[in-house]
Amino acid sequence: MAAVNAGRWLALCAGAAAAVLLGIHFIGSGFGPFPVEWNIGLRQPIDGFQSWVIGNRSTHPIFLFVFGPFSAFVDWGLRAAENILLWLPWPVTVWLFAALAWQVANWRITVVTVCGLLFMGLMGLWEQSMQTLALMVIAVSLSLLVSVPLGILAARHAHLQQILRPILDLMQTMPAFVYLIPVLLFFGVARVPSVVATMIYAIPPGIRLTELGLRQVSPPVVEAARAFGATRRQLLWHVQLPLALPAIMAGVNQTIMMALSIVIIAALIGAGGLGREVLVALQRLQVGRALEAGLAVVLLAIIMDRISDALANRQSEIYVAGANTGYAAKRPAWQRARIVVPLVAAVLLLAALVLGVQSFPEAARLPLYQPVDVAVGWMRDNLYRIGNSGWGTGPLSDLITIRMLDPLRALFAHGLAWPVQVALAVCAGAALSGFPLALQAGLGLFAIGMLGMWELAMDTVSQVVVAVAISIVLAVPLGIWAARSAWVDALLRPILDTLQTIPSFVFLVPVIMLFNVGRVPGVIASVLYALPPGIRLTTLGLRQVNDEVREAARAFGSSSWQLLTKVELPLALPSILLGINQVIMMALAMVVISGLVGGAGLGLEAVIGLAKGQTGRGIEAGLAIAILAIIPDRMLHAAAHRLQPPV
Amino acid sequence: MVDAMSIKSGLSPGADSEPKVVVRNLWKVFGPHAQRVLAALQSGDSKQQAALEGGHVVAVRDATFSVQPGEIFVIMGLSGSGKSTLVRCISRLIEPTGGYIAVGGAEVTAMDAAQLMQLRRHSLSMVFQHFGLFPHRTVLQNAAYGLEVQGVPLAQREARAREMLELVGLAGWADSRPQRLSGGMQQRVGLARALAVDPAVLLCDEPFSALDPLIRRDMQDELLRLQQMMHKTILFITHDFLEALKLGDRIAIMKDGRLVQVGTPEEIVSNPAGDYVREFTRDAPRAKVITARSLAQARAGVEAPAVAASTRLEELLQRMAAGETQLCVREEDGTLLGVVDQAAVLRALAGAAPR
Repeated sequence: MAAVNAGRWLALCAGAAAAVLLGIHFIGSGFGPFPVEWNIGLRQPIDGFQSWVIGNRSTHPIFLFVFGPFSAFVDWGLRAAENILLWLPWPVTVWLFAALAWQVANWRITVVTVCGLLFMGLMGLWEQSMQTLALMVIAVSLSLLVSVPLGILAARHAHLQQILRPILDLMQTMPAFVYLIPVLLFFGVARVPSVVATMIYAIPPGIRLTELGLRQVSPPVVEAARAFGATRRQLLWHVQLPLALPAIMAGVNQTIMMALSIVIIAALIGAGGLGREVLVALQRLQVGRALEAGLAVVLLAIIMDRISDALANRQSEIYVAGANTGYAAKRPAWQRARIVVPLVAAVLLLAALVLGVQSFPEAARLPLYQPVDVAVGWMRDNLYRIGNSGWGTGPLSDLITIRMLDPLRALFAHGLAWPVQVALAVCAGAALSGFPLALQAGLGLFAIGMLGMWELAMDTVSQVVVAVAISIVLAVPLGIWAARSAWVDALLRPILDTLQTIPSFVFLVPVIMLFNVGRVPGVIASVLYALPPGIRLTTLGLRQVNDEVREAARAFGSSSWQLLTKVELPLALPSILLGINQVIMMALAMVVISGLVGGAGLGLEAVIGLAKGQTGRGIEAGLAIAILAIIPDRMLHAAAHRLQPPV
Repeated sequence: MVDAMSIKSGLSPGADSEPKVVVRNLWKVFGPHAQRVLAALQSGDSKQQAALEGGHVVAVRDATFSVQPGEIFVIMGLSGSGKSTLVRCISRLIEPTGGYIAVGGAEVTAMDAAQLMQLRRHSLSMVFQHFGLFPHRTVLQNAAYGLEVQGVPLAQREARAREMLELVGLAGWADSRPQRLSGGMQQRVGLARALAVDPAVLLCDEPFSALDPLIRRDMQDELLRLQQMMHKTILFITHDFLEALKLGDRIAIMKDGRLVQVGTPEEIVSNPAGDYVREFTRDAPRAKVITARSLAQARAGVEAPAVAASTRLEELLQRMAAGETQLCVREEDGTLLGVVDQAAVLRALAGAAPR
């Protein structure tokens, strides 16, 4: 209680300070922009360090004995995987994937897999797809090699878990983009840093879900094993790991999806494959080509998601339902598969080698980009401005820019003096949680100024605010609707599933088709990217409302509207707030990525830093992005926690 | 149906044999300063006691009892009375705070980790309230688990597990997963798993409490049937007084961590120690529990038909109804214990204390 009161008192003080400062700002001469002389100049030491790294890469022991061997090992693995995948004749690859899908999932996923792979070939993207696949295989296996043992250790040692939790929180809060820059510093530009960046991003869910799975093993079962004299190791291998397997497999699925989303972005730091194809096409505004490569990425994502998801689900089905449809029942089929699959693969391989078939035939290239480019041209001519009606994507884009983005940017960058904004942040932090959060929020904003990123950050913030506002306006009503109507839910589900499978980068492709480059496509792509979690968590929150409570409200004669506003929404609010939090995180990540297509602000700054090898500049922007992500994340978690009804 | 009482009376523990389980002055205190609280409690310093108990829970207070070979010893108490903690202290799944425990003459409280593991693998077996079956293993693999951790070869342990499954009537279910079985069948698997290692002592932690009443009765009968064949030493936990009466050779009543009374069902029903125990005995089936032995009153020179000391009240009642007014009670070796008359039978039936 004392903490809450202190927080309220602090919030009042900060609010009063903000009001006073606002008065000074408007009545007096004002504060001007964030003082340039307070810039701590992080850029110079980082750039100095970078030169040092470049100069000592071949001599210093840390590179010779740590980074060097690691790089060599990863590079070797990557090359091996790539060579195998490229050497394998395409019919053999397709057959092996189809057999895998058939074994772990069902015929529908098998069809999707075969069609997806053929599409990649027909688009002339076979080699790029195999490169991306190789990168995925290496990055995912290395990630799992780290995350699963760490997850096991964290489940067994409470103190390790306490150390890991804030680190994982931070790793998952920061937009993927931010990792790329420091990784570059240590590993240079090539394929190895993209593996490392992918690992950093993909490791947290593996650790989390492994740990969760182990902790969720039912205590009576663990006790039974102990009572029969199982050692710790026996307990782990006989009981805990097998029972945690569904959760661990879910972790593998998440690791794969995380890895795929960043493998594409990693094209920025030298990863080849599909990501590079999308990036280059976007930069050259070859929308058709970008769409081809983007679709290939999405198909690859869907294939990997569905197959690994099927693996995870099959595991849990065995345990939860106790169905006898698991390995035991499938055993004959498995045994047959063990003979048939390699046999057919060997025959195909031999035939292909004899006939000289390896990569997908160029002649089979299906020029999808041609009609797409025609369509894009048509849209640009006809949809951008529909006649003289004042409708179209152009006017909409202008509306967002002139009526929303520009005024907000002006407000954040100049309209409100920076001390007022810092005071407001402190005020919000104090009101939501207490002194620590208030301090963090205030210091965070101040640090952005000291990094010299104030104006750019405010540009980014204005884009995020617009994207989040549009997302919430769409997501919350849709979420409520889906919670109340089964058919809306059934309609939305596959759409949201697909949207959530698409790596962030790819969202930019169709948006560019309609809105050209600039800040608006970033905002629109952010909305598309951020909608699914907003809708899902709203629906989930409403669904979780206790049926008895709902019945009680009805019994007292609440109307449907009263039920929603007086009972359901207040109870679902923590879940909705977490949804909004995710919306903010995803919108920020997307706005940053849209720096690639002309979105202004910190994203553009980071892209410039990356592209020009100005590491200091990139890291400054990256730090500012990280701070911008952490502040609202902490605040909304605090708010959701506070609103959680006592159990 | 198996007649509960006849099995138990046939298996009365011999007084000359060594107890299989000995528990002396056992304490369990939960909390950050358990040892200090224990010292305070043992010294009886009441002020310090009150101060230290804040934040601490004393789950077992100074428990002392022993279990004879072949005996079913029931610990009966309501939830929170500490009975589950007590039984877990015996295999040190929960580490006791103080006291002495021995199983089969070996001092459990002095064992190191390796010895403890051997004890759990070979001498003790446990049956759990929520079965504690491994959902990822088949019924057969569950039943064989205790042998598996012992390192018994596959063929041998599966043969033994099959034998046990047959014993509990689940021969056809070996390859199913436990979730496909009903609750009663799952607990049969639990029993088979526990019996497969041929333990010296079987610990049962409310094994039938999660089952429906009818199934529970079946399982009680099943346990008695198995006991008739195997003569295990069983420590059985329950919150159901009637279950305790039905299964127990002796019963310990537990309240707030303390054993308030230990005795045969008959002793407890006919002579409850205090109001707490008397509350439980109110609904007890006296006619099935009380025997002529406890009703016999010494009286000289009475000529009447004789009955055995182990004759139960319900049978005495029938004899009286058939016209007898009094009966002589004799031990099996012929010693005269005394006389039981109609008034004594009626008083016992009404629940009044014997005069």
